[in-house]
Amino acid sequence: MNKLIPKLVVEGLSHHYPDEYTGESVHALEDINLELYEGELVSVVGPSGCGKSTLLNILAGLLPYNIGVASVDGEVITGPGPDRGVVFQEHAILPWRTVARNIGHGLEIRKIPEKERNKTVQDFINLVGLTGFEDKYPHELSGGMKQRCQVARTLCADPVVMLMDEPFAAVDAQTRITLQEELNRIAMATKKTILFITHAVDEAAFLGDRCLVFSARPGRLKEIVKIDIPREKRVWADMNTDAVFIAARDKILASVREEVSVAVEE
Amino acid sequence: MQSRSKLDRLLWSLQQLMKIDAMNIVILVIVVLLGWSVISDNIENPARYLPSPIAVAFSSVDMLVKGLLPSYFSDTLVRLIIGSAIGLAAGIPFGLLLGLNRTVADMFHPMMNFFQSVSGIAIFPIIVIWYGNSDMTVLIVILYTSFFPIAFTVLSGVREIPLRYINATRTLGASRFQVMKDVLFPGAMPHIATGSRLSIGFAWRAVIAGEMLAGREGLGWMIFTGQDADKTTEIILGMVIIGFTWIVLDHYLLRPMEERTIERWGLVQR
Amino acid sequence: MGARSKMMVFSRLSVALQRRFGRQRLRKIILGSIPFLFFITIWHANTVFGWLPPVFVPTIGEVWEAIFFLQEDCPGFVPLIKLDNDCMMTTHILSSLGRVILATVIGLPAGIALGVVAGMSRPISKFLEPVGVFANSISGIAWIPLAIVWFGVGWVTTLFIMLNTIFWLMFFNSMLGVRSIAKVYEDSILTMGGSRWDVVTQVYLPGAMPSIITGMRMSMGFGWRALIAAEMIGGDSGLGFMIFTSAAEFKIEEVFLGVIIMAIIFMGTDKFLLAPLEKWTVERWGLVWKPS
Repeated sequence: MNKLIPKLVVEGLSHHYPDEYTGESVHALEDINLELYEGELVSVVGPSGCGKSTLLNILAGLLPYNIGVASVDGEVITGPGPDRGVVFQEHAILPWRTVARNIGHGLEIRKIPEKERNKTVQDFINLVGLTGFEDKYPHELSGGMKQRCQVARTLCADPVVMLMDEPFAAVDAQTRITLQEELNRIAMATKKTILFITHAVDEAAFLGDRCLVFSARPGRLKEIVKIDIPREKRVWADMNTDAVFIAARDKILASVREEVSVAVEE
Repeated sequence: MQSRSKLDRLLWSLQQLMKIDAMNIVILVIVVLLGWSVISDNIENPARYLPSPIAVAFSSVDMLVKGLLPSYFSDTLVRLIIGSAIGLAAGIPFGLLLGLNRTVADMFHPMMNFFQSVSGIAIFPIIVIWYGNSDMTVLIVILYTSFFPIAFTVLSGVREIPLRYINATRTLGASRFQVMKDVLFPGAMPHIATGSRLSIGFAWRAVIAGEMLAGREGLGWMIFTGQDADKTTEIILGMVIIGFTWIVLDHYLLRPMEERTIERWGLVQR
Repeated sequence: MGARSKMMVFSRLSVALQRRFGRQRLRKIILGSIPFLFFITIWHANTVFGWLPPVFVPTIGEVWEAIFFLQEDCPGFVPLIKLDNDCMMTTHILSSLGRVILATVIGLPAGIALGVVAGMSRPISKFLEPVGVFANSISGIAWIPLAIVWFGVGWVTTLFIMLNTIFWLMFFNSMLGVRSIAKVYEDSILTMGGSRWDVVTQVYLPGAMPSIITGMRMSMGFGWRALIAAEMIGGDSGLGFMIFTSAAEFKIEEVFLGVIIMAIIFMGTDKFLLAPLEKWTVERWGLVWKPS
């Protein structure tokens, strides 16, 4: 595996945008540099309003930017594309398509013949554990299942990088733990390069190979914490006694806390 | 065994209900006809102000025999069908196209609102100056009345589709056309259904008014000339036919279609 | 330096404006006016290049002047209020508006009251439902000839058409609205010791409100259109009458003026009357209004 050429590169990215209501310029991101290597899961944490979501929208190609460069596989990002899959915080699967048709939507857009498509779709349905729900509509699914469906849809389109925007923020605590462990398993099975944005420190430490801590607005890359735990050992039951995990989590927590208090003082 | 008897009981009570409904309507019709006859018997010059139901029935036989009624009826219906079919076929894609881009949608929303506020009947005087009292004038008025309400409703519907659906589909690599086909069209489906029904409703009224104003043969013309020629029986006959036609159209065609579409596409969105 | 400070002033002004109106609203206002400006430009271009003859499309100036031409002979404010025939434009606008208001004042409460009464009892409402369906199906316009026979050409005919449209729509919608309310609410008020009147004001009216508001929107939509048609065919005043007679005299600028005024009135009632009313009921009773 070529570990030396990064899949996703961000260089000197800064971003300002006018405030939704007052029109005053908001400084969201300041000089962000980061690299994601193949098969890596990098989590991003920071206080709310630190520009994490802005970063993700820029990488997804939904937000135009003009200071700095972001590229995937050497190609500069200019708009949305199938090389980057996005899992959104709110469920964004189309309500008028069944689970199977939602998951196969990316392939359908690429005009892959139905027979070929069905096989791939079924594989991913099995992978995320939605077997038996192929013909259900999204409103018949629980919150956790909707997110699994979203993950499967993104993976099925086979992107170079998968971008995840607080995907588990809106589900209940019990489901969240299951989903985290499953994402870990999926990351292991598919070896996808994943950028995972969250505001939960536990989640960031549990999932990330590296964790990037963002400062309060304007968002800067404040600290990078490495979490050296093999994927197959990442199970919540063992984490509470894992010294590496606890050390990493506390380090991230301390770093984020500092930023939150700065933000509050302002 | 028990469920069987339950089913029977349900069917039985359903039948009872149907019977009551049918009975209701029969009683109602009798009451209305009786009341109408009594009033008509007790006013001066009933032939002018309110002819009795029997007189109306006779006039309908007379018009049927002469073949006028079927010809007027089909004239009006053909106008409605052609006008609203073209109006809907043009209005739905137009609304979707404008809704393709949020900025364009926000841009055209007020203008479309303006045009749908101007009723087709109001632009009749303009069209009449352009094309005279012709079939073309009536057709344009109907087209106008069915085009703008549907285009405006579709545009409003598209603007209500959550941005996240559009974004998610774009990140899957969808082109603008694919977004329109896979997100905007199905997402606007309930609005398309509601808007179509509203558009056809307006168009129906526009046909009647247009025929009166432009003097083209049809049901509207029939009741209008009935007033001119002092044939009140024909006016009432025309009104009853207009009412029944719309009931049949709306209750047995348009409303079930709308309800089914909303059930199919609307509920799942919540 | 001068250019720079000018830029500063400009950006500060823009921020102040956006603060005042809200960025989103300002954006919508500006965006929304672009097609109108474009439309007006095309219209004016037509005058300049003469694509369509002025008999078919008047110049903007002519439409503007038509306002003053129609008001030319108006002897003053008092005759204006009295709907003097010399104050043509205001008289036509006010008599149309007057009919709308009068028909609303009579038809709305009457329709709602009878609809609520009919909806309270299931058998009665079942019995009366076909009446409502049939009355709404004979669109207001189809009543015009009979109304002319009954009341002659004039005020009463036009008022009757509008009233007829409003009344049946309100009656039908409030009846269905009341009937759709679950019986539990009614029972709960009664068990708490409430009277029949309490049930009406606390349960029936608020419960039927979404349906009533739908009825009001439809009343305005269908009623206003029916009124214009009635004024054209069986009226002797009002905006519909005005544009119809103007068209007969080939005064196309007056027709355009009338159409524009009608659109503004209709949009105005929707935006400043029906929309706030809907918002108020939602806030007051926490109802979510669904388009039907």
